[in-house]
Amino acid sequence: MNKYWNSYTETLPREELDRIEFKYFKNILSYAKNHSNLYKEKLKGIEVEDIKTVEDIKKVPFTYKEELRKWQEDVDPFPYGGILGVPIEEVSTFRQTSGTTGRPVYVPESYESWQWRIESWCHILWMAGFRPRHRIFLPFGYNVYVAFWEAHYAAEKIGCEVVPGGALDTKGRVNKIIELKANAMAGTPTYLLNIAKEAMEMGIDPKSLGIERALGAGEPLPEATRLRIEGLYGCKMFDHIGSTETCGFAGMCEEQKGLHIVEPFFLVEMLDRETLSREVDVGEQGVIVITPLGRKSFPVIRFNTNDVAVKGPDNCPCGRTSKKMMEIVGRVDDIRKIRGVLFSPKTVEQLIRSEFPEIVEYEIVVTRQDIMDEITLRIEVDPSLSEEQAASIAKRLAEGHKIKTNLTCKVKIEPAGTLPRYDLKAKRFKDLRGGH
Amino acid sequence: MEEIRKEIKKIEESALRLKSLAPENNSIVKNASIILVFVYLLKFATAMWEE
Ligand SMILES: [Zn+2]
Repeated sequence: MNKYWNSYTETLPREELDRIEFKYFKNILSYAKNHSNLYKEKLKGIEVEDIKTVEDIKKVPFTYKEELRKWQEDVDPFPYGGILGVPIEEVSTFRQTSGTTGRPVYVPESYESWQWRIESWCHILWMAGFRPRHRIFLPFGYNVYVAFWEAHYAAEKIGCEVVPGGALDTKGRVNKIIELKANAMAGTPTYLLNIAKEAMEMGIDPKSLGIERALGAGEPLPEATRLRIEGLYGCKMFDHIGSTETCGFAGMCEEQKGLHIVEPFFLVEMLDRETLSREVDVGEQGVIVITPLGRKSFPVIRFNTNDVAVKGPDNCPCGRTSKKMMEIVGRVDDIRKIRGVLFSPKTVEQLIRSEFPEIVEYEIVVTRQDIMDEITLRIEVDPSLSEEQAASIAKRLAEGHKIKTNLTCKVKIEPAGTLPRYDLKAKRFKDLRGGH
Repeated sequence: MEEIRKEIKKIEESALRLKSLAPENNSIVKNASIILVFVYLLKFATAMWEE
Protein backbone atom coordinates (compact mmCIF):
# COMPACT_ATOMS: atom_id res chain seq x y z
CA MET A 1 0.00 0.00 0.00
CA ASN A 2 1.35 3.42 -0.92
CA LYS A 3 2.71 5.34 2.06
CA TYR A 4 1.04 8.53 0.88
CA TRP A 5 -2.67 9.23 0.87
CA ASN A 6 -2.11 11.31 -2.25
CA SER A 7 1.23 10.49 -3.85
CA TYR A 8 0.79 13.36 -6.31
CA THR A 9 0.04 16.38 -4.12
CA GLU A 10 2.13 15.22 -1.15
CA THR A 11 5.34 15.15 -3.18
CA LEU A 12 4.86 18.17 -5.45
CA PRO A 13 7.87 20.50 -5.62
CA ARG A 14 7.69 23.49 -3.27
CA GLU A 15 7.33 26.08 -6.05
CA GLU A 16 4.45 24.11 -7.53
CA LEU A 17 2.62 23.96 -4.19
CA ASP A 18 3.12 27.70 -3.72
CA ARG A 19 1.74 28.38 -7.19
CA ILE A 20 -1.32 26.17 -6.65
CA GLU A 21 -2.07 27.64 -3.23
CA PHE A 22 -1.77 31.17 -4.53
CA LYS A 23 -4.29 30.37 -7.25
CA TYR A 24 -6.64 28.64 -4.77
CA PHE A 25 -6.30 31.58 -2.38
CA LYS A 26 -7.54 33.97 -5.03
CA ASN A 27 -10.40 31.60 -5.87
CA ILE A 28 -11.64 31.34 -2.28
CA LEU A 29 -11.14 35.08 -1.69
CA SER A 30 -13.31 35.83 -4.68
CA TYR A 31 -15.83 33.24 -3.53
CA ALA A 32 -16.02 34.68 0.00
CA LYS A 33 -16.41 38.20 -1.32
CA ASN A 34 -19.33 37.13 -3.48
CA HIS A 35 -21.10 34.74 -1.13
CA SER A 36 -20.54 35.71 2.50
CA ASN A 37 -21.98 38.96 3.91
CA LEU A 38 -19.13 39.25 6.39
CA TYR A 39 -16.55 39.29 3.60
CA LYS A 40 -18.66 41.46 1.28
CA GLU A 41 -18.33 44.08 4.01
CA LYS A 42 -14.84 43.30 5.27
CA LEU A 43 -13.17 43.11 1.84
CA LYS A 44 -14.82 46.20 0.37
CA GLY A 45 -11.56 47.91 -0.46
CA ILE A 46 -9.87 44.80 -1.83
CA GLU A 47 -10.19 43.46 -5.34
CA VAL A 48 -9.00 39.99 -6.22
CA GLU A 49 -7.17 41.48 -9.21
CA ASP A 50 -5.04 43.49 -6.74
CA ILE A 51 -3.55 40.25 -5.43
CA LYS A 52 -0.81 39.81 -8.01
CA THR A 53 1.94 38.18 -5.97
CA VAL A 54 2.21 36.00 -2.87
CA GLU A 55 3.36 39.11 -0.99
CA ASP A 56 0.05 40.82 -1.85
CA ILE A 57 -1.82 38.24 0.26
CA LYS A 58 -0.70 40.34 3.24
CA LYS A 59 -2.99 43.14 2.03
CA VAL A 60 -5.96 40.98 3.00
CA PRO A 61 -6.93 41.65 6.63
CA PHE A 62 -6.90 38.85 9.22
CA THR A 63 -10.12 37.33 10.44
CA TYR A 64 -10.47 36.94 14.22
CA LYS A 65 -12.74 34.65 16.20
CA GLU A 66 -14.30 37.73 17.81
CA GLU A 67 -15.53 38.93 14.41
CA LEU A 68 -17.16 35.59 13.67
CA ARG A 69 -19.01 35.91 16.98
CA LYS A 70 -20.03 39.49 16.33
CA TRP A 71 -21.37 38.53 12.91
CA GLN A 72 -23.52 35.83 14.50
CA GLU A 73 -25.21 37.94 17.16
CA ASP A 74 -28.64 38.85 15.82
CA VAL A 75 -27.41 38.58 12.24
CA ASP A 76 -29.40 36.48 9.77
CA PRO A 77 -29.51 33.73 8.77
CA PHE A 78 -29.85 32.20 12.21
CA PRO A 79 -27.64 30.85 13.77
CA TYR A 80 -24.67 31.28 11.40
CA GLY A 81 -24.94 34.97 10.54
CA GLY A 82 -22.70 36.81 8.11
CA ILE A 83 -19.99 34.20 7.61
CA LEU A 84 -22.27 31.66 5.92
CA GLY A 85 -21.03 31.09 2.38
CA VAL A 86 -23.75 28.87 0.89
CA PRO A 87 -27.56 29.08 0.82
CA ILE A 88 -28.77 27.90 4.23
CA GLU A 89 -30.67 25.01 2.60
CA GLU A 90 -27.30 23.55 1.67
CA VAL A 91 -26.12 23.31 5.28
CA SER A 92 -26.15 19.65 6.24
CA THR A 93 -24.40 19.61 9.63
CA PHE A 94 -24.24 21.89 12.62
CA ARG A 95 -21.04 22.21 14.67
CA GLN A 96 -19.99 24.72 17.31
CA THR A 97 -16.90 25.74 19.20
CA SER A 98 -16.70 24.91 22.89
CA GLY A 99 -17.20 28.51 23.99
CA THR A 100 -14.40 28.36 26.58
CA THR A 101 -13.32 31.89 25.60
CA GLY A 102 -16.78 33.41 25.17
CA ARG A 103 -19.94 32.89 23.16
CA PRO A 104 -19.59 29.77 20.99
CA VAL A 105 -19.14 30.16 17.25
CA TYR A 106 -21.73 28.22 15.24
CA VAL A 107 -20.22 26.49 12.27
CA PRO A 108 -22.22 25.40 9.21
CA GLU A 109 -20.99 22.56 7.05
CA SER A 110 -22.50 21.84 3.66
CA TYR A 111 -22.20 18.28 2.42
CA GLU A 112 -19.44 19.42 0.07
CA SER A 113 -17.51 21.37 2.71
CA TRP A 114 -17.77 18.54 5.20
CA GLN A 115 -16.47 16.02 2.65
CA TRP A 116 -13.66 18.43 1.78
CA ARG A 117 -12.78 18.58 5.45
CA ILE A 118 -12.83 14.79 5.73
CA GLU A 119 -10.58 14.44 2.70
CA SER A 120 -8.06 16.68 4.40
CA TRP A 121 -8.28 14.53 7.53
CA CYS A 122 -7.68 11.36 5.50
CA HIS A 123 -4.18 12.75 4.85
CA ILE A 124 -3.68 13.17 8.61
CA LEU A 125 -4.74 9.63 9.48
CA TRP A 126 -2.88 7.99 6.61
CA MET A 127 0.28 9.95 7.39
CA ALA A 128 0.05 8.68 10.99
CA GLY A 129 -0.03 5.11 9.72
CA PHE A 130 -3.73 4.33 10.14
CA ARG A 131 -4.73 1.64 7.65
CA PRO A 132 -7.73 -0.53 6.76
CA ARG A 133 -6.46 -3.23 9.15
CA HIS A 134 -7.20 -0.97 12.12
CA ARG A 135 -10.28 -1.30 14.26
CA ILE A 136 -10.30 2.18 15.72
CA PHE A 137 -12.07 2.94 18.97
CA LEU A 138 -13.27 6.53 19.39
CA PRO A 139 -13.87 7.30 23.06
CA PHE A 140 -15.76 10.57 22.97
CA GLY A 141 -19.20 11.95 23.65
CA TYR A 142 -20.70 12.28 20.17
CA ASN A 143 -21.97 15.83 20.42
CA VAL A 144 -22.14 19.27 18.80
CA TYR A 145 -18.35 19.66 18.89
CA VAL A 146 -16.31 18.80 15.85
CA ALA A 147 -13.50 16.93 17.61
CA PHE A 148 -13.53 13.31 16.51
CA TRP A 149 -16.42 13.58 14.07
CA GLU A 150 -13.68 14.30 11.57
CA ALA A 151 -11.70 11.32 12.87
CA HIS A 152 -14.81 9.16 12.65
CA TYR A 153 -15.68 9.97 9.05
CA ALA A 154 -12.09 10.04 7.84
CA ALA A 155 -11.25 6.71 9.48
CA GLU A 156 -14.29 5.25 7.77
CA LYS A 157 -13.19 6.73 4.46
CA ILE A 158 -9.64 5.39 4.55
CA GLY A 159 -11.07 1.95 5.27
CA CYS A 160 -10.63 1.47 9.03
CA GLU A 161 -13.37 -0.18 11.01
CA VAL A 162 -14.75 2.49 13.32
CA VAL A 163 -16.12 1.66 16.76
CA PRO A 164 -18.06 4.65 18.14
CA GLY A 165 -17.22 4.76 21.85
CA GLY A 166 -19.80 7.29 22.99
CA ALA A 167 -22.18 7.06 25.97
CA LEU A 168 -19.91 4.84 28.06
CA ASP A 169 -18.00 5.65 31.21
CA THR A 170 -14.24 5.13 31.24
CA LYS A 171 -14.51 1.62 32.68
CA GLY A 172 -17.10 0.74 30.05
CA ARG A 173 -14.72 1.97 27.38
CA VAL A 174 -11.84 -0.13 28.69
CA ASN A 175 -14.14 -3.16 28.59
CA LYS A 176 -15.31 -2.37 25.06
CA ILE A 177 -11.72 -2.09 23.81
CA ILE A 178 -10.99 -5.51 25.31
CA GLU A 179 -14.25 -7.06 24.07
CA LEU A 180 -13.71 -5.94 20.46
CA LYS A 181 -9.89 -6.19 20.42
CA ALA A 182 -9.69 -2.61 19.11
CA ASN A 183 -6.13 -1.93 17.94
CA ALA A 184 -6.22 1.84 17.40
CA MET A 185 -7.64 4.91 19.12
CA ALA A 186 -8.02 8.64 18.77
CA GLY A 187 -8.77 10.84 21.75
CA THR A 188 -7.71 13.83 23.76
CA PRO A 189 -4.29 13.16 25.28
CA THR A 190 -5.76 13.74 28.74
CA TYR A 191 -8.46 11.20 28.17
CA LEU A 192 -6.09 8.61 26.73
CA LEU A 193 -4.12 8.97 29.97
CA ASN A 194 -7.34 8.56 31.95
CA ILE A 195 -8.24 5.37 30.11
CA ALA A 196 -4.80 3.93 30.87
CA LYS A 197 -5.19 4.90 34.52
CA GLU A 198 -8.65 3.36 34.72
CA ALA A 199 -7.33 0.14 33.14
CA MET A 200 -4.55 -0.03 35.75
CA GLU A 201 -7.09 0.49 38.53
CA MET A 202 -9.03 -2.44 37.06
CA GLY A 203 -5.83 -4.50 37.33
CA ILE A 204 -5.23 -4.41 33.57
CA ASP A 205 -1.90 -3.42 32.04
CA PRO A 206 -2.78 -0.89 29.28
CA LYS A 207 -0.16 -2.60 27.10
CA SER A 208 -2.29 -5.74 27.09
CA LEU A 209 -5.15 -3.82 25.42
CA GLY A 210 -3.33 -4.24 22.12
CA ILE A 211 -3.54 -0.60 20.97
CA GLU A 212 -0.96 -0.21 18.18
CA ARG A 213 -1.54 3.38 17.24
CA ALA A 214 -3.27 6.43 18.66
CA LEU A 215 -3.94 9.95 17.51
CA GLY A 216 -4.33 12.98 19.75
CA ALA A 217 -7.06 15.52 19.09
CA GLY A 218 -8.87 18.32 20.86
CA GLU A 219 -5.96 19.64 22.92
CA PRO A 220 -2.22 20.18 22.53
CA LEU A 221 0.10 17.19 22.86
CA PRO A 222 3.43 18.12 24.42
CA GLU A 223 6.23 15.72 23.49
CA ALA A 224 6.48 14.43 27.07
CA THR A 225 2.77 13.52 27.10
CA ARG A 226 3.12 11.85 23.71
CA LEU A 227 5.98 9.70 24.98
CA ARG A 228 4.11 8.91 28.17
CA ILE A 229 1.09 7.63 26.22
CA GLU A 230 3.41 5.57 24.00
CA GLY A 231 5.04 4.09 27.11
CA LEU A 232 1.77 3.28 28.85
CA TYR A 233 0.08 1.55 25.92
CA GLY A 234 3.21 0.34 24.12
CA CYS A 235 1.79 2.07 21.03
CA LYS A 236 2.81 4.75 18.56
CA MET A 237 1.19 8.08 19.38
CA PHE A 238 0.68 10.83 16.82
CA ASP A 239 -0.44 14.41 16.96
CA HIS A 240 -2.44 16.64 14.68
CA ILE A 241 -3.58 20.26 14.80
CA GLY A 242 -6.91 21.72 13.89
CA SER A 243 -9.94 23.51 15.24
CA THR A 244 -13.62 23.87 14.52
CA GLU A 245 -13.07 27.06 12.54
CA THR A 246 -10.03 25.96 10.55
CA CYS A 247 -10.50 22.16 10.09
CA GLY A 248 -7.67 19.74 10.88
CA PHE A 249 -4.78 21.23 8.90
CA ALA A 250 -1.57 19.48 9.98
CA GLY A 251 -0.55 16.01 11.05
CA MET A 252 2.44 13.98 12.19
CA CYS A 253 4.18 11.52 9.88
CA GLU A 254 6.05 8.34 10.89
CA GLU A 255 9.15 10.41 11.67
CA GLN A 256 7.19 11.85 14.64
CA LYS A 257 9.06 15.13 14.45
CA GLY A 258 6.74 18.05 13.90
CA LEU A 259 3.59 18.24 11.81
CA HIS A 260 3.09 18.43 8.06
CA ILE A 261 0.61 20.99 6.81
CA VAL A 262 -1.97 19.39 4.53
CA GLU A 263 -1.11 21.15 1.30
CA PRO A 264 -2.55 22.38 -0.99
CA PHE A 265 -5.75 22.24 1.07
CA PHE A 266 -4.61 25.03 3.34
CA LEU A 267 -2.57 28.15 3.04
CA VAL A 268 -0.78 28.36 6.37
CA GLU A 269 1.23 31.47 7.19
CA MET A 270 3.54 31.62 10.20
CA LEU A 271 4.10 35.26 11.04
CA ASP A 272 6.40 37.03 13.46
CA ARG A 273 4.72 37.85 16.76
CA GLU A 274 5.68 41.52 16.84
CA THR A 275 4.46 42.79 13.48
CA LEU A 276 2.46 39.86 12.05
CA SER A 277 3.85 40.76 8.67
CA ARG A 278 6.95 38.64 8.14
CA GLU A 279 7.00 34.88 7.45
CA VAL A 280 9.30 33.48 10.15
CA ASP A 281 12.41 31.38 9.46
CA VAL A 282 12.93 27.73 10.25
CA GLY A 283 13.34 27.33 14.02
CA GLU A 284 11.63 30.62 14.81
CA GLN A 285 8.29 31.07 16.59
CA GLY A 286 5.39 32.33 14.52
CA VAL A 287 1.68 33.00 14.90
CA ILE A 288 -0.37 30.60 12.80
CA VAL A 289 -2.71 32.17 10.24
CA ILE A 290 -4.84 29.83 8.15
CA THR A 291 -6.96 29.92 5.03
CA PRO A 292 -8.78 26.69 4.19
CA LEU A 293 -8.67 26.79 0.40
CA GLY A 294 -11.77 24.86 -0.62
CA ARG A 295 -14.35 25.19 2.11
CA LYS A 296 -17.23 27.29 0.90
CA SER A 297 -19.86 26.98 3.64
CA PHE A 298 -17.60 28.67 6.22
CA PRO A 299 -15.05 30.49 4.10
CA VAL A 300 -12.61 31.94 6.65
CA ILE A 301 -9.83 33.98 5.08
CA ARG A 302 -6.52 34.48 6.90
CA PHE A 303 -7.93 33.26 10.19
CA ASN A 304 -5.59 34.34 12.97
CA THR A 305 -5.55 31.40 15.39
CA ASN A 306 -3.47 33.22 18.02
CA ASP A 307 -1.54 29.96 18.35
CA VAL A 308 2.23 30.16 18.34
CA ALA A 309 4.35 27.36 16.88
CA VAL A 310 7.93 26.88 15.81
CA LYS A 311 8.46 26.65 12.08
CA GLY A 312 9.78 23.22 11.13
CA PRO A 313 12.56 22.27 8.70
CA ASP A 314 12.07 21.49 5.01
CA ASN A 315 12.91 18.11 3.47
CA CYS A 316 11.34 15.60 5.84
CA PRO A 317 12.87 12.12 5.40
CA CYS A 318 9.33 10.81 4.75
CA GLY A 319 9.46 12.45 1.33
CA ARG A 320 6.55 14.83 1.80
CA THR A 321 7.29 18.27 0.47
CA SER A 322 4.77 20.16 2.59
CA LYS A 323 5.76 22.80 5.12
CA LYS A 324 6.17 21.63 8.68
CA MET A 325 5.52 23.14 12.06
CA MET A 326 6.86 21.85 15.33
CA GLU A 327 4.58 21.56 18.34
CA ILE A 328 2.47 24.52 19.39
CA VAL A 329 4.35 26.60 21.94
CA GLY A 330 1.21 28.16 23.36
CA ARG A 331 -1.54 30.62 22.66
CA VAL A 332 -0.65 34.25 22.20
CA ASP A 333 -3.08 34.93 25.08
CA ASP A 334 -1.61 32.21 27.36
CA ILE A 335 1.97 33.36 27.19
CA ARG A 336 2.29 35.84 30.04
CA LYS A 337 4.88 37.99 31.65
CA ILE A 338 5.32 37.00 35.26
CA ARG A 339 7.81 39.04 37.28
CA GLY A 340 9.15 40.23 33.96
CA VAL A 341 9.79 36.69 32.64
CA LEU A 342 7.86 35.16 29.73
CA PHE A 343 5.95 32.17 31.05
CA SER A 344 4.09 29.49 29.10
CA PRO A 345 1.85 27.05 31.00
CA LYS A 346 2.91 24.38 28.53
CA THR A 347 6.37 24.27 30.10
CA VAL A 348 4.77 23.17 33.37
CA GLU A 349 2.65 20.53 31.65
CA GLN A 350 5.75 19.21 29.91
CA LEU A 351 7.60 19.02 33.24
CA ILE A 352 4.78 17.26 35.09
CA ARG A 353 4.04 14.77 32.31
CA SER A 354 7.68 13.83 31.80
CA GLU A 355 8.99 13.68 35.35
CA PHE A 356 6.05 13.31 37.71
CA PRO A 357 3.82 10.35 36.81
CA GLU A 358 2.60 10.39 40.46
CA ILE A 359 0.82 13.71 39.87
CA VAL A 360 -2.68 12.83 38.68
CA GLU A 361 -4.05 16.34 38.18
CA TYR A 362 -2.75 19.87 38.50
CA GLU A 363 -3.66 23.52 38.10
CA ILE A 364 -1.49 26.62 37.72
CA VAL A 365 -2.73 29.73 39.49
CA VAL A 366 -1.10 33.12 39.15
CA THR A 367 -2.00 35.82 41.68
CA ARG A 368 -0.62 39.19 42.70
CA GLN A 369 0.29 39.94 46.31
CA ASP A 370 0.86 43.70 46.61
CA ILE A 371 3.15 44.17 43.63
CA MET A 372 4.57 40.66 43.57
CA ASP A 373 3.31 37.99 41.13
CA GLU A 374 2.98 34.57 42.65
CA ILE A 375 2.67 31.18 40.96
CA THR A 376 0.95 28.37 42.81
CA LEU A 377 0.89 24.84 41.46
CA ARG A 378 -2.06 22.99 42.95
CA ILE A 379 -1.48 19.27 42.58
CA GLU A 380 -3.22 16.01 43.39
CA VAL A 381 -0.92 13.05 43.84
CA ASP A 382 -1.58 9.33 43.62
CA PRO A 383 -3.74 8.68 46.74
CA SER A 384 -1.74 5.56 47.62
CA LEU A 385 1.32 7.68 48.45
CA SER A 386 2.23 8.63 52.02
CA GLU A 387 2.33 12.23 53.24
CA GLU A 388 6.14 12.16 53.23
CA GLN A 389 6.24 10.90 49.65
CA ALA A 390 3.76 13.61 48.57
CA ALA A 391 5.85 16.29 50.29
CA SER A 392 8.97 15.06 48.55
CA ILE A 393 7.21 15.24 45.15
CA ALA A 394 6.11 18.81 45.93
CA LYS A 395 9.68 19.77 46.78
CA ARG A 396 11.10 18.21 43.61
CA LEU A 397 8.38 19.88 41.51
CA ALA A 398 9.17 23.32 42.91
CA GLU A 399 12.87 22.80 42.11
CA GLY A 400 12.10 21.50 38.61
CA HIS A 401 9.83 24.48 37.99
CA LYS A 402 12.55 26.92 38.97
CA ILE A 403 15.01 25.26 36.59
CA LYS A 404 12.58 25.15 33.63
CA THR A 405 10.98 28.57 33.96
CA ASN A 406 13.43 30.68 35.97
CA LEU A 407 10.54 31.45 38.30
CA THR A 408 9.91 30.24 41.83
CA CYS A 409 6.53 28.83 42.74
CA LYS A 410 4.57 27.45 45.67
CA VAL A 411 3.28 23.89 45.47
CA LYS A 412 0.05 23.06 47.26
CA ILE A 413 -1.04 19.44 47.68
CA GLU A 414 -4.82 19.13 47.33
CA PRO A 415 -6.99 16.26 48.57
CA ALA A 416 -7.92 13.66 45.91
CA GLY A 417 -10.77 14.76 43.66
CA THR A 418 -10.52 18.50 44.46
CA LEU A 419 -9.29 19.68 41.06
CA PRO A 420 -11.50 19.66 37.97
CA ARG A 421 -11.07 16.84 35.42
CA TYR A 422 -11.24 17.52 31.68
CA ASP A 423 -12.28 15.40 28.71
CA LEU A 424 -11.92 18.25 26.24
CA LYS A 425 -10.23 21.66 26.32
CA ALA A 426 -8.48 21.51 29.64
CA LYS A 427 -8.23 24.83 31.50
CA ARG A 428 -5.40 24.22 33.92
CA PHE A 429 -4.02 27.75 33.82
CA LYS A 430 -5.65 30.54 35.81
CA ASP A 431 -4.22 34.03 35.75
CA LEU A 432 -6.07 35.87 38.52
CA ARG A 433 -3.96 39.03 38.51
CA GLY A 434 -6.41 41.13 36.51
CA GLY A 435 -5.10 43.78 34.17
CA HIS A 436 -1.83 41.89 33.63
CA MET B 1 -1.91 13.47 -14.65
CA GLU B 2 -3.47 15.02 -17.76
CA GLU B 3 -5.24 11.79 -18.59
CA ILE B 4 -6.62 11.57 -15.04
CA ARG B 5 -7.86 15.15 -15.21
CA LYS B 6 -9.61 14.46 -18.50
CA GLU B 7 -11.38 11.52 -16.92
CA ILE B 8 -12.50 13.68 -13.97
CA LYS B 9 -13.88 16.21 -16.42
CA LYS B 10 -15.84 13.42 -18.12
CA ILE B 11 -17.38 12.31 -14.82
CA GLU B 12 -18.35 15.90 -14.11
CA GLU B 13 -20.03 16.33 -17.47
CA SER B 14 -21.77 13.02 -17.11
CA ALA B 15 -23.11 13.82 -13.61
CA LEU B 16 -24.37 17.21 -14.78
CA ARG B 17 -26.08 15.53 -17.71
CA LEU B 18 -27.69 12.98 -15.38
CA LYS B 19 -29.16 15.80 -13.34
CA SER B 20 -30.59 17.50 -16.39
CA LEU B 21 -32.04 14.23 -17.74
CA ALA B 22 -34.14 13.59 -14.62
CA PRO B 23 -34.77 16.93 -12.90
CA GLU B 24 -37.94 15.56 -11.25
CA ASN B 25 -36.29 12.48 -9.78
CA ASN B 26 -35.00 13.33 -6.30
CA SER B 27 -32.90 10.24 -6.01
CA ILE B 28 -31.12 10.71 -9.32
CA VAL B 29 -30.57 14.44 -8.76
CA LYS B 30 -29.21 13.91 -5.23
CA ASN B 31 -26.91 11.05 -6.11
CA ALA B 32 -25.58 12.90 -9.15
CA SER B 33 -24.98 15.96 -6.92
CA ILE B 34 -23.03 13.77 -4.53
CA ILE B 35 -20.91 12.57 -7.44
CA LEU B 36 -20.18 16.24 -8.14
CA VAL B 37 -19.03 16.73 -4.55
CA PHE B 38 -16.48 13.97 -5.07
CA VAL B 39 -15.55 15.45 -8.44
CA TYR B 40 -14.71 18.62 -6.50
CA LEU B 41 -12.45 16.57 -4.22
CA LEU B 42 -10.86 14.82 -7.19
CA LYS B 43 -10.06 18.24 -8.59
CA PHE B 44 -8.32 19.06 -5.33
CA ALA B 45 -6.52 15.73 -5.36
CA THR B 46 -5.12 16.49 -8.81
CA ALA B 47 -4.60 20.23 -8.33
CA MET B 48 -6.96 20.89 -11.20
CA TRP B 49 -8.79 24.14 -11.55
CA GLU B 50 -10.79 26.10 -14.01
CA GLU B 51 -8.95 29.10 -15.34
ZN1 LIG C 1 7.40 13.67 7.21
